[in-house]
Amino acid sequence: MTNVLDVDGLKRSFDDLVAVGGVSFSIEPGEAYGLLGPNGAGKTTTISMVAGLLESDAGSVSVAGKLMTTKSSDAKRAIGLVPQDLAIYPDLTAAENLKFFGSLYGMRGASLNERIMTVLEMVGLSDRADDRSDEYSGGMKRRLNIAVGLLHEPQLLILDEPTVGVDPQSRNAILESVEGLSSRGMSVLYTTHYMEEAERLCDRVGIIDNGLLVAEGTRRSLVDSIGQDDTVHVTATGNLHHVAELLRAVEGVVTAAEAHGVVSVVVDRAAIRLPSILATFTEAGVSVVAVEVSEPNLEAVFLHLTGKALRD
Amino acid sequence: MTAFAIARTALLRLFRDRSNLFFVFVFPIALVLIIGAQFGGGFEPIIGVTGVDGDPLAGDVVDLLDADYGIREFDDSDAAVLAVERGYVSAVMVFPDDLSAEALAGRDPQIGFITQPDSSGQAIRAAAESALNRAIGPTAAAVAVSQSQGVSLEQAELLVEGAASAIADVDVETRTTGDALFADLGQFDLGASSQLVLFVFLTGLVGSAALIQSRQLGVTRRMLSTTASARTVIFGEVLGRWGVAVFQGIYILIVTLVAFRVDWGDPIGALMIVLCFGLVGASAAMLFGAVFKNDQQAGGISVVAALGLAALGGSMVPVEIFSSSMQSIARITPHYWANDAFAELVRRDGSVVDILPHLGVLAAYSIVLLTVAIWRLQKVITR
Ligand SMILES: Nc1ncnc2c1ncn2[C@@H]1O[C@H](COP(=O)(O)OP(=O)(O)OP(=O)(O)O)[C@@H](O)[C@H]1O
Ligand SMILES: [Mg+2]
Repeated sequence: MTNVLDVDGLKRSFDDLVAVGGVSFSIEPGEAYGLLGPNGAGKTTTISMVAGLLESDAGSVSVAGKLMTTKSSDAKRAIGLVPQDLAIYPDLTAAENLKFFGSLYGMRGASLNERIMTVLEMVGLSDRADDRSDEYSGGMKRRLNIAVGLLHEPQLLILDEPTVGVDPQSRNAILESVEGLSSRGMSVLYTTHYMEEAERLCDRVGIIDNGLLVAEGTRRSLVDSIGQDDTVHVTATGNLHHVAELLRAVEGVVTAAEAHGVVSVVVDRAAIRLPSILATFTEAGVSVVAVEVSEPNLEAVFLHLTGKALRD
Repeated sequence: MTAFAIARTALLRLFRDRSNLFFVFVFPIALVLIIGAQFGGGFEPIIGVTGVDGDPLAGDVVDLLDADYGIREFDDSDAAVLAVERGYVSAVMVFPDDLSAEALAGRDPQIGFITQPDSSGQAIRAAAESALNRAIGPTAAAVAVSQSQGVSLEQAELLVEGAASAIADVDVETRTTGDALFADLGQFDLGASSQLVLFVFLTGLVGSAALIQSRQLGVTRRMLSTTASARTVIFGEVLGRWGVAVFQGIYILIVTLVAFRVDWGDPIGALMIVLCFGLVGASAAMLFGAVFKNDQQAGGISVVAALGLAALGGSMVPVEIFSSSMQSIARITPHYWANDAFAELVRRDGSVVDILPHLGVLAAYSIVLLTVAIWRLQKVITR
C-alpha cells in the first residue's frame, strides 16, 4: 500500500537561517506520526511545505502518491490542515465558517450540510453550531479549527501544535478528539513540543531540532535507544545554568540541562547518583525546592540527543 | 463557483458588522437628504438673481419674491445659468443694469428668466411676473400718467397710488395637488449622484481592511491549503469587494429613486457606471489590501483617500466651480469620470453610448490597479 505521506530531503532557508535542513519521513495509512521538537525547531516550516503552502528549497513531498507543490490541487485534496494559529472568521458562526471552507473544496448543498453536522459532532460542538465563534472559549475555537480540517474527509490530517495556549480541560478534549479520529483509521501528522502528547497520541515519533530529524521511531524503540537511563528533575532557585554545567562532570550523569527553574539530569541510575547530584546543588549555593525521578521517556530521549530540555 | 463562495462570505461579513450597516444603509441617504436641503434650499425653491446691485426697482421685486422663495444673488449670469442647470436654484432672473432708469424713462425693461423645463419652473415664472408687475407697475403707470396729463411725476405717483388703493386687493390662492412630499424640483438629483460616487468608492475601498484581516487571521493561508488556487482566492476576493461596492451603489440608486424620485437618467447607463466605478473601488481595495499590513491602518487611510479623491473629483463640490487648473487635476481622479458620466445621463439626457468614453476610462483604472494589486498580493499571500 502506498504511504499516505512521503517526505524526502526537505530543505528550506529564510535568508541565512536554515529553518529545515533536510528532513525525511513517511506516514503509513492509519498511522499517527508525531513531530516532537522545541520552539523554532522547524515544525511549522516543515508542515507548511507538506501542505503546499511554502515552496521548498530542495526535496519532495508526496501525499497518497501525488506530488505536493504549492499548485497541486490533487495532493491538497488529500490533506486537511489545522494551522497552529486559529484560522477561522470570528464574526461567523461555526456552521458559516465550515460552509465557507467546505465550498473552497467544491462541496455544496445537502451533502455539505450533512458533513458539517458530522464534523461538529466529532469535535463536540453540535449544540453551538449557530453561535459566532468569537463567543466561544479558547478550547472551543481550537476544536472548530480542527473541524475545518476534517470537513472534506482528507486522507491525512495535519495538526500543528493544536493544544498550545489551551486550558488543561480543553486540551484533554482536543487530545480525545484526535485519539478518536486516529482510532477510526485517520492518518495523522501531529506536531508538538509536549512529550506527553506525542507519547499518548502517536504510533511513531520523529524528534526534530534545529531543522533536522535527530531520531525517529516508536516510543518504545526511542526510549530503548538511550538505554535504561533515568531522568531526575530538580526544581530549584539560583544560577541553574551553572549547576547544569557542573552536573555534566558528575560521575554517572549523561547530560544535564536547565529550563524554567528546573534542571533535568539524565543519569545511569538515579537511586545511586541522587546524593552526589544534590551535593552539586549545595556546592553551587543553589537551594533545591523539589526533586522528581522519572522513568525513561521521550523527554529524556530529547535531552540525551540534544543536550537541551524540551520545554517552553 | 469557488470564487463566488469567497465573495458571498465577504458580503456576509460586511453585513454582520453593525457599524457597517450604519455606514452603508443610513449614512449615504442621510447625506443625500442634507445636501439636497442645502443646495436645493430645503423644500423652499430658490430663485437666483443677477444685476440687482442697489437698483431700487429690482430690490423691490426681490423683496416681494423673498416672502415665498429663497433668493440667491449671483455676480454674473453664466454662473447663475449653471446653477439652474445643476439644480442648485430653480430659476434665475437676470435684471438689466439700468432697470429703474429704463422704467422711469417709460421704456419696457427686458428681464431674462431661465428655468428648467418642468412644471415648477412655470409656477415660479408666474410668481416672478406678478412680482414684477407689482413692483414696476405703479412706476410705469405714474410715468404714463405724468406724460399724458402733463403733471409732475410726484403728482402722478400719488394719483396712481390712490387709484390702486381703490381697487380691491385681489388675492391669488394657489394650491398644489398630488403627493409631492420629496419630489420637489429634483433638488436631490445632484446630491444623490455625487454621494453615490463617493460612497461606492468609500465602501469598496474600506473593504481592504477585511482583506488584511483575512490574512492576519490566517484564513487566507488556510484557503491556499485547500484545493482552491491562489488565482481563485484572489479572484474571489476581488469579486467580494466588487459585490460590496456595487451593492452600495444599487442601494443608493433604488432608495433615492423610490423615496426622493431622483432622476438618474438612462437606468442601464446608471447601472453601468455603478458596475465600472465599483470595480475601480474594488481594485483599489485589493491594492491597499496588498500594500498595507495592518487592517486599522488600511481602514483609516482608505477613508482619508476615499474622501480626498471624492473632494477632488467633484463629489463634494461640483467641479464646474473649481478653478481651471483644479479642474484638470480633478480629471486624474476616477470620481471625476463617474460624476461626469452621471451628469451626462441626468443633465444632458445622455444614453449608454454617450458615456462609453467615461466607462472606458473607469475600466482602464480598474485594469491598472488590479494588475498591480494581483502582482503584489500573489507575493504577499504565497510568501
Ligand atoms: N517566514 C519566515 N521568515 C523568516 N524566518 C522564519 C520564517 N518562518 C520561520 N522562520 C524561522 O525558522 C525557524 C523555524 O521556525 P518554525 O516556525 O518552523 O518553528 P516551530 O518548530 O514551528 O516552532 P514553534 O514551536 O515555536 O511553533 C525559526 O527560527 C523561525 O524564526
Ligand atoms: Mg510552529
